[in-house]
Amino acid sequence: MKLKIERDRLLKPLGSVSGVVEKRQTLPILGNVCIKQEQNVLTLIGTDLETEVLTRVEDVEGEDGECTVTARKFYDICRMLPETAKISLVNEGDRTIITSGRSRFSLQSLPAADFPRLEAQNWEESLQLKQNELRDLLEKTAFSMAQQDVRYYLNGCLLEIGKSGIRVVATDGHRLAKSELAMPLEISGPRQVIVPRKAVTELLRFLGEGDEVVKLEVNPNHIRISAGPWIFVAKLIDGRFPDYEKVIPSSLETHLEVDRLQLSEILARTAILTNEKFRGVRLVLKPGTMMVMANNPEQEEAVDEMAVEFDGQEVEIGFNVGYLMEALRALESEKVDLGLQDANSSCTLNEPGNHSTLYLVMPMRI
Amino acid sequence: MAADPPAVAAAVAAVAAGNRSIAHVDMDAFYASVEIRDNPALKDKPVVVGGDPDKRGVVAAASYQARRYGVHSAMPSKTARRLCPDLIFVHPRHELYAEVSHQIRGLLERYTPQIEPLALDEAFMDITSCRRLWGSSSNIGRLIKEDISNQLGLTASVGIASNKFIAKLCSDLDKPDGLVVVDPEQAQSLLDPLPVRKIWGVGKSGERQLHNLGVSTFEQLRKRPVTFLETRFGTWGRHIWLLAQGIDERPVVTDTEARSISHETTFAQDEADREVLAAVLLGLAEQVGTRLRRHKRCAATIHIKLRYSDFATITRSQTLAKGTNITREIWQSARALLTKALADRSDPVRLLGVGVSGLDHGLYEQTDLFDGFRVKQHEIDSVADSINERFGSGLVHRGLRNK
Repeated sequence: MKLKIERDRLLKPLGSVSGVVEKRQTLPILGNVCIKQEQNVLTLIGTDLETEVLTRVEDVEGEDGECTVTARKFYDICRMLPETAKISLVNEGDRTIITSGRSRFSLQSLPAADFPRLEAQNWEESLQLKQNELRDLLEKTAFSMAQQDVRYYLNGCLLEIGKSGIRVVATDGHRLAKSELAMPLEISGPRQVIVPRKAVTELLRFLGEGDEVVKLEVNPNHIRISAGPWIFVAKLIDGRFPDYEKVIPSSLETHLEVDRLQLSEILARTAILTNEKFRGVRLVLKPGTMMVMANNPEQEEAVDEMAVEFDGQEVEIGFNVGYLMEALRALESEKVDLGLQDANSSCTLNEPGNHSTLYLVMPMRI
Repeated sequence: MAADPPAVAAAVAAVAAGNRSIAHVDMDAFYASVEIRDNPALKDKPVVVGGDPDKRGVVAAASYQARRYGVHSAMPSKTARRLCPDLIFVHPRHELYAEVSHQIRGLLERYTPQIEPLALDEAFMDITSCRRLWGSSSNIGRLIKEDISNQLGLTASVGIASNKFIAKLCSDLDKPDGLVVVDPEQAQSLLDPLPVRKIWGVGKSGERQLHNLGVSTFEQLRKRPVTFLETRFGTWGRHIWLLAQGIDERPVVTDTEARSISHETTFAQDEADREVLAAVLLGLAEQVGTRLRRHKRCAATIHIKLRYSDFATITRSQTLAKGTNITREIWQSARALLTKALADRSDPVRLLGVGVSGLDHGLYEQTDLFDGFRVKQHEIDSVADSINERFGSGLVHRGLRNK
């Protein structure tokens, strides 16, 4: 196997494929990237046995064949070569030689036949949407996914597809994010799949801002997303996502329409003097104003306030300031509808009159 | 109750120097005195605060006039009325007593922050280091009594001694309106003639067992070899032997520095019925939970303590995955420990206790969308707490469903 390619055509695809490879593996070959040259098309594959990223580069001259080399080292070598470098790669059994100008590298190589693939097939549903739409759905929710929670089904994003659109939900139990895209879909029925955390993060790395169409397919165990030269396959989390609709309050006593940036700034200022571990702030709602207060173990205290349209009974609710700020950052509207009830009830954040993207934050007992 | 290392170190240093000064402040007939103060028509009359005699009520507090007829607290109201037909019954107003208790605390805090409240109407104070500012111990005792009398129109009895045990005995010696200060040199002669019943933790049954061994006074107790008591009563035997000679090194533990909270109860008759034990355990867990929540703490570890008829005492503990101040969680853990302990030894139990340790600020507990159990339990606890705070503790408590 032989190939020749310009450094700048190789670097980005190789970087994305290497991204999925874990730094520490149980098997040496899992640290490798699989390289295939076939009829002037170069294919690169990286895997961690849960997620597989495959990409193709067209018009690459060489001789057909395949091999695997350590992803990290191969990527670093390419990265360190001059921008305009031309790279040639030759595999000779258990050696792969990379040369460029006067530079020469001889890497260990393992046979491509041993490279594990996610054997996913029998796709049961298939739909198409724009790359930036899918990216947007994931970006608006992914930050709320749990991380290494014992409730393993929360360590990912719920993707719900129905005849009228797609909905993505993520929650770590403390807060929840929901974002949906209305579009008629020709599918056989509503379906829920949970995409693991790492797959979501990797997906966000290679989904661009453009409006090219991507194909999304699912079967009971896998999801596959194909976008241009990319094919992304991930194992789904085998579990039941909690009934999130039940925890979204249907009506809250108080709704405040507030300036999104103003509230963000107040929270950011107040956050400076929160307890570093718990990051609790108290929102105190009084007729005409909302106060935001924080204090820390050093007995330092922050108080800020903003005018709001409110004339009910005084309410005080504690929240993790980080959760509120992340939700406010993800919303893009000028105004935000902040729904509140009491110290035991969650609050909601969304664009006024628009529930397609909604955030839910559970209170903190302070 | 255990204490912070610095508090212990300070107390140990003071003990080593032999100059600790501990005051026990005990309000006289507290509830009744508050009622009489607020209603002059009751002055000099036999008054009890407590439940209706026609509805199986119980006396919560009796005025000194009423006590002359033999009426005392915890007596059925019906019996009290039989002893004193003119007795005036007043319905308890717990919210008021809590408020007055809070005012008393404010007065005591002028002297020292080292205050350990035992109940609404009594507290220990470590006045060791405030003698320089306020003069002798007896002067401080007098000032405290004057403050309480002038500002609140109530009387207190104060005992001052070198440790908590003697101080508490002293406050009781000259009630009402007493002030007893005991120097370390006089302490032993004061203690020696007292009956063993006066020792903290010696109840009816303990007294009987000690009597059977020919021990009825402090003097007789302290003159026995400690090993004699230890072989019969274990560590508890050693504990009372030390108390009998006026040795008590327990520091005053303010409730803000408490490292553990516990409640225990001694049964009038040794109890073997598991259902009864489980029910008592629930009551204790409830008290512990209430105190945790009042101080906004969460506990990591749950303990139980069991003392059998022969005074053998065991403790068992369990550390939870997540700190809690939820009554139900404390109880569930305590009940599991009890079941295990009773599986090892199912003899009748004379004392049962529930405690918690590993306290941290229960502040900042993030609630969870899918942890409906915890959210619900928090709601139940806060409703029960607010009712009990307004109308007196124990009005609302959990029940066990009979299976």
